[in-house]
Amino acid sequence: MNALIEARNLHKVYKTDGVETPALRGANLTVKAGEFTAIAGPSGSGKSTLLHLLGGLDRPTEGEVWLDGERLDDKNAVERARLRLWKVGFVFQAYNLIPVLTALENAAFVLELRGRPSAERRERALAALAELELDGYAERRPNQLSGGQQQRVAVARALAAEPAVIFADEPTANLDSKTGLALIEYMKRLNREKGVTFVFSTHDPRLLEHVRRVVHLEDGRIAGEEVRG
Amino acid sequence: MWSLAWKNVRRGRGRSLLTGAAVAAVVALMMIMYGFSGAVVNGMFQNMTRSTGHLILRVKNADKIREFERGLIQDAPALQERLARALPGADVEAMLEVPALLAGEKRSRGVLLYGLEPGGRLMKEFVTKKLTAGGPPQDDGDWSAALGRALARALKVKVGDGVYAFVPNTSGIGAAAFTVSGLVALPESTMEARTAVITLAAAQELAAPNAASRIVIFLPGLVSPTQQGRLEQARSKLAPLVPAGFELLTWRQAEPAMAAILDMMTPLLLIYAVIFFVLAGLLVVNTVYLGLVERIREFGVIIALGADRWRIMRLVIIESLLLVLSGAAVGAALGGLAVWRMSHGFSLPGPLARQYAEFGLPVVMYASITPAQVALVFAFALLTALASALWPAWLAGRLEPVEAMRHVA
Ligand SMILES: Nc1ncnc2c1ncn2[C@@H]1O[C@H](COP(=O)(O)OP(=O)(O)O)[C@@H](O)[C@H]1O
Ligand SMILES: [Mg+2]
Repeated sequence: MNALIEARNLHKVYKTDGVETPALRGANLTVKAGEFTAIAGPSGSGKSTLLHLLGGLDRPTEGEVWLDGERLDDKNAVERARLRLWKVGFVFQAYNLIPVLTALENAAFVLELRGRPSAERRERALAALAELELDGYAERRPNQLSGGQQQRVAVARALAAEPAVIFADEPTANLDSKTGLALIEYMKRLNREKGVTFVFSTHDPRLLEHVRRVVHLEDGRIAGEEVRG
Repeated sequence: MWSLAWKNVRRGRGRSLLTGAAVAAVVALMMIMYGFSGAVVNGMFQNMTRSTGHLILRVKNADKIREFERGLIQDAPALQERLARALPGADVEAMLEVPALLAGEKRSRGVLLYGLEPGGRLMKEFVTKKLTAGGPPQDDGDWSAALGRALARALKVKVGDGVYAFVPNTSGIGAAAFTVSGLVALPESTMEARTAVITLAAAQELAAPNAASRIVIFLPGLVSPTQQGRLEQARSKLAPLVPAGFELLTWRQAEPAMAAILDMMTPLLLIYAVIFFVLAGLLVVNTVYLGLVERIREFGVIIALGADRWRIMRLVIIESLLLVLSGAAVGAALGGLAVWRMSHGFSLPGPLARQYAEFGLPVVMYASITPAQVALVFAFALLTALASALWPAWLAGRLEPVEAMRHVA
């Protein structure tokens, strides 16, 4: 079975003011379409860096990234932006939504970037909001929503665009544990019922209990992998 | 994209409002300046062409010819008639300028006798409008003459007195008696001291039967020096009728100094426009730039979601356009209203009006702005919006998504 995502020997070294920080040191990872994968590791282990490289937000210092048959690591910024637009969904830790737009407009934003007609945008965004049980909140602004609701809008935004994969980088970090767990449950349901491929990261072991595939990251290396029943 | 940009413009409300207001003020100011300069330029043009006409036919280089006879258009009525027929609606008038000696009971002076058509535009301009006593010159029965006030004073004559004109060595009768019909006030005192106006018929009989020094043509509806096309059209229509040895001058050629003054307005206003719009542009740059800096994270998210460099730049430019053009629209409305009100006639404050009247500025002026000038002001606004957005847009386009999202404001 061909992999949706393939990372080979990923290295990433950040250089700031002459100081080199190695964030990844030879990570290998394969994700198949329809999988629900957690990247687990303590803070600073390189989870964000890995997700950024897999999603084409940044380029590795060394190594290769393949996404849906396309090689990402040698693409320039404009090409990577195009690939993200059409194939990748992102949910970030915080500051994720555009504050001047309503939940509906936020959910439709990627489709707008893609230049879809407004009727289609609206329909797909409303459907995605409904999937995350945000039916009554379409016209609210982010600042009129709770943190958990905001993150669900962010998931809906990714979902509405029907990308090949959704990366969620510590989406629960700013939420209390109950709300965080609930968000993961939404994502799992979407994965189960609609076959959406998710790769999310967390440093909270409690979130991993019912996750089928967990990849452990330590010091920029894959330290192990669990696949449960 | 447009709606997001508009929402962002509205988000930085105080700043946007201030900048929009500045743009509005500049646009309104420019429109008023154009309207005002239109009033001044058109006013001066109309004032001047009332006495010079729009086109002038005369002997080639007539101003350099010393000999009276050689500077004359012989058989003027026939030529005048042909010109008038070629330009229906235009007023075609002949005038005859005769250097003469004018004598009262005790004194005499060298003067220029202007022979003008009774009831014509030139008569109205030089005499009827400037009379301080009496009436215009007549030639039915007794001949009469309107004298400059200073001339009448020098000759010690008043309305009703007799004066004698001597014009030796011409083909006319050479000498005649006139009654002083009235006194005129002329803007320049030296001119007032050597000007007397008589009828064209009297001047011709006195000095040059059937002749004129120039034929002056007034075109209908020509109210602004910007109507150059209309002028050229009339000129080329008349050109074939101009006999050899004659020249047909436009008001520009006849009054080059005035033409230069009127032409100066255009570059002058352009310079003002550049200065004002650069100042407004600095505010726009500031607003757009701060809007960018405050939203670095947000731009990071938008880039992460798949917006490429060009789209990000477009977003910044659209914000600038919306900011500037909405300001410009308000400014144009206000400026347009002001110009519209001024187009019904306005005056400068009393002392100024009197002072400028000496330079040929009418007391009551009518603001006027051409569509091209409005378009120019908007083009400036547009240019300001684009130029102001360029640098912030370039910065935004270079943002790296990961770094931008990590940015702490
Ligand atoms: N932009 C950056 N510049 C410099 N160092 C960075 C940058 N991003 C991450 N790092 C460093 O790289 C390492 C891995 O960071 P990160 O991928 O954010 O880990 P995690 O998401 O697991 O907390 C850390 O030591 C972090 O300080
Ligand atoms: Mg992280």
